[in-house]
Order: sequence, then structure tokens, then C-alpha cells
Amino acid sequence: MSTAAVELRAISKRFDAVVANDGIDLVLARGTVHAVMGENGAGKSTLMSILFGLVRPDSGDIVVDGETRSFQSPLDAIAAGLGMVHQHFRLFDSMTVAENVVFGAEPTRGGRIDRAAAAERVRSLADRYGLDTDPQARVGDLSAGARQRVEILKALHRDARILILDEPTAVLTPSEVTSLFTVIRRAAEDGTTVVLVTHKIQEVLDVSTEVTVLRDGRVSGRFVTADTTSAELVRAMTGREVEIVANPGTGTLGETVLEVEGVSVTDARLERVSNVSLSVRRGEIVGIAGVSGNGQHDLVAAVLGTTPVSAGRIRLGDHDMTGAPVAARRAAGLAVIPEDRRGEGSAVTMSITENLSLGHHRQPPIGWPTGFGRGWMSLAAARTRASEQISSYDIRTSGEKQPVGSLSGGNAQKVVIARELSFDAPLLIAEQPTQGVDVGAIEAIHGRLLDYRASGRGILLVSHEISELLALADRVLVMFAGEIVAEFDRSRASAERIGAAMAGAAAAAGEEWTA
Amino acid sequence: MIARLTRHPAVVPIGAVVLAILIGAVVILLAGLNPIDAYAAVLQGSLDVRNLDYTFSVWGFICGMGLVAAIPLRMGEFNLGGNGQLVLGGITAYVVASQLGLPGIVAVPLALIAAMLVSGGFAAVSAPLATRFGIPIIISTLLLSPVAVAVASYLVRFPLAEKGSGNAQTPVLPEDAHIWSLGDLRYTTVGLLLIIAVMVIFYIVDSRSAVGFELRVTGANRRFGEYAGLKPGRLALGAMGSAGAVAGLVGAIIVLSSPYRFIDGALISPGYTFAGLAAALLAGGRPALVPVTAILFTILQVGGASMERTAEVPRQLSDVLQGVVIVILALRVVLDRRRAGAGKDS
Repeated sequence: MSTAAVELRAISKRFDAVVANDGIDLVLARGTVHAVMGENGAGKSTLMSILFGLVRPDSGDIVVDGETRSFQSPLDAIAAGLGMVHQHFRLFDSMTVAENVVFGAEPTRGGRIDRAAAAERVRSLADRYGLDTDPQARVGDLSAGARQRVEILKALHRDARILILDEPTAVLTPSEVTSLFTVIRRAAEDGTTVVLVTHKIQEVLDVSTEVTVLRDGRVSGRFVTADTTSAELVRAMTGREVEIVANPGTGTLGETVLEVEGVSVTDARLERVSNVSLSVRRGEIVGIAGVSGNGQHDLVAAVLGTTPVSAGRIRLGDHDMTGAPVAARRAAGLAVIPEDRRGEGSAVTMSITENLSLGHHRQPPIGWPTGFGRGWMSLAAARTRASEQISSYDIRTSGEKQPVGSLSGGNAQKVVIARELSFDAPLLIAEQPTQGVDVGAIEAIHGRLLDYRASGRGILLVSHEISELLALADRVLVMFAGEIVAEFDRSRASAERIGAAMAGAAAAAGEEWTA
Repeated sequence: MIARLTRHPAVVPIGAVVLAILIGAVVILLAGLNPIDAYAAVLQGSLDVRNLDYTFSVWGFICGMGLVAAIPLRMGEFNLGGNGQLVLGGITAYVVASQLGLPGIVAVPLALIAAMLVSGGFAAVSAPLATRFGIPIIISTLLLSPVAVAVASYLVRFPLAEKGSGNAQTPVLPEDAHIWSLGDLRYTTVGLLLIIAVMVIFYIVDSRSAVGFELRVTGANRRFGEYAGLKPGRLALGAMGSAGAVAGLVGAIIVLSSPYRFIDGALISPGYTFAGLAAALLAGGRPALVPVTAILFTILQVGGASMERTAEVPRQLSDVLQGVVIVILALRVVLDRRRAGAGKDS
């Protein structure tokens, strides 16, 4: 009892017909790193919102340091010693790190903010926890990792003894993840209780001491991390065994479906892509690895035709598409699962049916391509087609009329994937195809991509997840600073080699270097 | 529960109307008059059986100008050039009906079609201006509109002016070139039926055609449309051309109806353009709702005059209420954008 920093007892919360939390008990021992895992929609976000006073439970108790509390707002939770770092940062871009950290609890001298004291406070906190930060830097100029450190400092400045981190690694590069984990461990040694909300199993195994797994609003497993395995965690999350799909090996290669020759892309005078050449043939998956922002997305945009090339040629099948509009490229046989699902891959205010229909709406069964009915759509056919895809892709929804924006991230991603795969295009570009998707659904998506290849089509797979590339790709190209700096055959590819090339250590790749 | 209710899509539009009525009541109270009397006069004036003929014709014009705003609004563009497009249609219709000496059975349809072509072509200019030169449609329509109004004003004052009249107006059209009235109604004509037909066409195209779907996708997320291979430039050309054509049709109907001439300023001063814009915004551009929201602005417009007579409240109050509704709806657009920017958690 005395070691519990926080106890949640029988927490329940309904939203309309959905039971988000159903009698959840959670005990957070002082000085531990407690992982809360679960698939999207399992109830972890709701539970954390209740703990932080953002949402009030229908029933159940929150006990902090042995005292039952009722939080009316996050301010009450902060006063009780809780701090939360949200997935989307809540910082003032135009203000300095120090100003952001002390905001709401400013050190004052004679009624004015004591900037020197604020900077000093930030520096001492940063030193104590190993959070490398410049107190005078403007937050708008910082990387995502650095902003996250500011959020953590902000919580620590308010003397948070219980720190909630919501999906903290979603925006970080591999090396930033490592340093975040160091900070988490140091905070725990210091007596802070850290709650890590995540669905990534490797992170849980790496950094946590205890794990609580949620499924469908209930606790489906409690583990001591040292005594558990990833298989056991996956089973608790999904309620079944998940087989890991892997590329069964190279099939027969057919003709070339994509040929990129010496392509450069210049945006605002910066060369985003420099002289890149690559090709994709039927029956192969070509992977592109790289830390986000090294030109992968610009390369995809150039192939799709939403960004012009400043040099080079692009061929799809037999057609030169270098200057062609998007519609011509898609007609020649191109489908794209884009990285930016909300901004580019869907219309969040429109229904699932409408999102699934775009691009298919002039072809049968939805549209009449020729004759008297040309230009008209059959709404009934669009609905039928949508409900078929909803069931075959296991999209969890209240119906095909539901707006895509109200689906969970993983289900919205399935809508995009269903639409693009159903073009049956000879070339599919898949950019981060499993971002924000649950473990169980990742397996299904990987299986679909492998089937797509097996049906004699080509895939260009762009991913930040090395494990995904290793599982699926026949070849892996690594992009760094707009160039392809290394190429690995399936047999030579390993996480270490790809990781080293991603970091720009081209020389370390040695023999794999291709000029 | 309350949070659920406030999220219903009808809450903001209805709230905007209620708030506008309350603000209007406060303004009337401050002027030392009785708001209940004033609003009663508005309703009486507009719904009086003797006035219904006139009320219906106004409703038709506001619906028509509502479409002029709603069609481009479907793809997220604002057409603020309704006045210019309206006037250009009116003057074109007058020229065709009066100068060619055709028999009525030919002159009226030809005048309507010519007005639609000229106004449609004029409005469509804004599309290439946006695609080629990056001038936003909201800006180019707003700036081109006074040009068209000025050209029409010049024509009616000089080459087409009625000789010996002190007013800037054309002579009356030959009786043969009057638009056909419905029975013995004075204001309501075949023109109202044409506008209703156009609304039905817009509804069907919007919900069932590939182009209508593409417009809505572009309005919901332009980048999504471009990624899927839609051509926003071409869609804008079509949307602006159609919107201009509808404005031209409304202008032609007004000129071919009583008092059967083009009077400088007479097409603009009733404020159909902005009443239509407000109706379109209130309907969120949805084709089925425009005729409904147009009723509200028709009541304000027609009833405003009788309010002035019986309750001694100046009719400009109607414009105030219209303005308040537009401001609140514009605020919603800003707030929605901010909320979307804040992002949604998975």
C-alpha cells in the first residue's frame, strides 16, 4: 500500500454506446516505469485522460498517495503531483524553452517574471535528468525530440511525481528514443513514477518494469516485464497468437513497372532529392529506408506527379511520365498509400464510402464509363462495394456512412489501403503503410502486401521501421540527404547495416556502397 | 449529453440565426422601440396573403443567387462577384430581347441563354486567374464585379438610355419580349420555375454525378483530390462557369419581368446577391438546404419594408441581421480550422 503512488479502482467510462473503460484496476508502484499497452481503441487514452483529470469517470476511484481524489480538471491533477506529456505537444512556438517550461508557475521577483531564475531552474532540471536542452532556444526552432524534452521539463518543473507519457516515441528518431529511455530510467531511479502509454512491444520490454495490458476496455493482463515475453504481450493485446509474416523469398521477376533515372527534386532552392535512380519490377518489393525527411517523401511525390522534377526521367511501364499529370500516371498503373493520411490520403469529413470510392467512381461498378450514363454514379453500387471492403479489411466502424475522421488511426489507414490496393495497379507505392496501426492489423497489412507482390505486381515500400523493411523487402535502398547511399540485397540486409547507412555512415556500409 | 448536442451540425447555423435575432432585438430596444412588434411586422409583411406573389418571386431570386454562391462553395471557393455576374446577365438579356427584333417565342429563350453564356463566361475567367496566376477566386470575383457593374451602368446611361428620361434606364421592352407570367400573378413568372429547375439539377448533379463528387472531394480536402488525380483548375472552371450562368439567368429573369426594363442599380440594390450568399453559407453549400435557408432571408428582405412602415424600425435592420449571421458562420470556419489544426488523438 505504501509503495503505490497511484491506484485506480474499478474505473468505468461510457461514451454513448461504447464502453471505453469497464472496471479497470491499475496500481502504479512508486519509482517504477509502468507500461500501459493495448491496441487502438482498447481504452488506454480514456484511462489516461481520467487519471489526468481531462475526463471524469462514470464510476470508480482515483487514489493518489493513499488519498481518494476527484479531479475536476487537469489543474487538480497537476496539484496532486501528476504531469502528462501529450502526443501532440502543447507549447508556444514563439517563446523560449525557459518561458515554456515555467509557464503557469513562473518564478517571480517583485511581481515580474524572473527570467534568470527561470533559465537557471531549467538548466538544473535538465542536468539532473540528462535532458539536453538550451533554455534560451525558441521552441519553434526545435526538433520534435527536443520539444518533447521541453514538455517533460515542464512537468518536472511542476514537481510531478507521476509522469504520464502518451505514445512518446511516435515522433522520435531511433537515437532520440534511446536518450528518452535514459531520461525515463533516471527519473524512475529518482523516485518518479513513469506511466508509458504505447503499443510498441519492443519499447515496453526495453524500458518498463511492469506492464498492464488493456483489451476492449478491460485489463487483459498484468506482467512484470522481466518475467514476460513479447509473445505473451501480443496474446494479451490481441487475444490470439499472431504469426509473424515474412517475405518467403524472391519470386519470379517480371518486366519493369517503375524506372527512375537520375531524378532530382528542388523545393524552395533546396535539393530534396539528388540524382536518384532506381527501378521496380513485377514480383518484387523494393524498400527505401531512411530517417524521416531525407527525401523519401519528395521522391514519392515526384513519381506520383504532385511535385515536379528538376532533372531526370520517370517511366511507368512503357510510358514516359516525366511531366505527366497525376491522372495520367494513375491511369498508366500507379497506386499510392501516402504517408500523410489525414492531409493527403483521405477527406476526414467525408464518409468511408466516399473515401473508398474516389478514383473508382468513374469505373464500373460505381460509374458508367461510356454511353448514355457516362459521368453518373450508382450510389447503391458504391455502398455495396464499401461494405464488402469494410468486412474484408476488417475496418471497425458503425457503418459505411461514418466519417473517416472519426475512425481510429488504424482503421482510417485500412480505408486508404483498401482503396489503393483495389486499383490492382502494376506498381504500388506504400509509404509508412502500418503507421498508427495495431499489432494484429500490421500482420494483416503485411500479408496483403506480400500477396500483392505474389500476384505479379511491384511495390516500392518506404518505411522508417527497419523491421518492416527486413520482413517484406527483396532489396533495401537507403536514402540519406536526398541520395541513395546504400543498397542491400535481402541476403545482406541487417538492422545494423541499414541503421548505420541511415545515419549517413555510408563508408561503414563499405562493400554495399553503390555509386 | 450536452457536448453531444452541441456537436450536431445544425447547432451552429440555428444558433447563428437565434443569436442574430437576439442581437437585432437588443438594437431595437436600444432605439427605444418594441422588438416583438417589429418582428411581428416582419412576419406579417412577408407572409401576408396579398404579398405572397411578391414574396415568392423574391424567394426565387435569393435561391438563384444562393446557388451562385453555393456551387463554388462545394469545392471550397467563394464567389463574391454575384453582383457583376447578375448585372451582366440582365443587360445581355435586354440587348438580345430588344435589339434583335425577334418574335417573343424566340426572343425570351434566346435572351435567357445569351445572358447565361455571357455571365458564365465572365465568371469563369476567375478560374484560370487562380490556376495560372495564383489570384484567389474570392479576390478576383470581388474585384471584377464592379467592372461589370460599371460597364452595364455606362451602357444604360448612354447607348441604351431611354431618350428624354431623367432616370438611368432603358426603354420598356416590347410586350412580345416579356417573360411569361404564371396566370394573373404580377411578380411570379415562369422564371421562378426555371430557378426551381436549376436547383433540382444542382441537387442531382451534386449527389449523383462524378463531377459533383469530385467537387465535394476537392472542397473537403484539395490535396486529397490532387493526389487522386482530380484537376482542381478544370473543376473551378466548371463551377465558376455554372455559377455565373445561374447569376446571368437570374439577372435576365429580373429584366424580362415587370417593370420590363434595365434600370441602373435596380438589380443590385435589393441585395439578392448577399442574401443568397448568406443563405448558401447557412446551408453549408448543401443543395437541398439552400431553398430552406433562403426562406429566412426572404422573410427578412420582404418583411423589412413592412417593419419600417408599421413598427418604425428602419429596414436596414434586415441587413444587420444578415451581417450577424454571416459573421457567426465565418467564425465557425475559423474555429473548425483551428480545431482541425489541434489534431485528433488516435
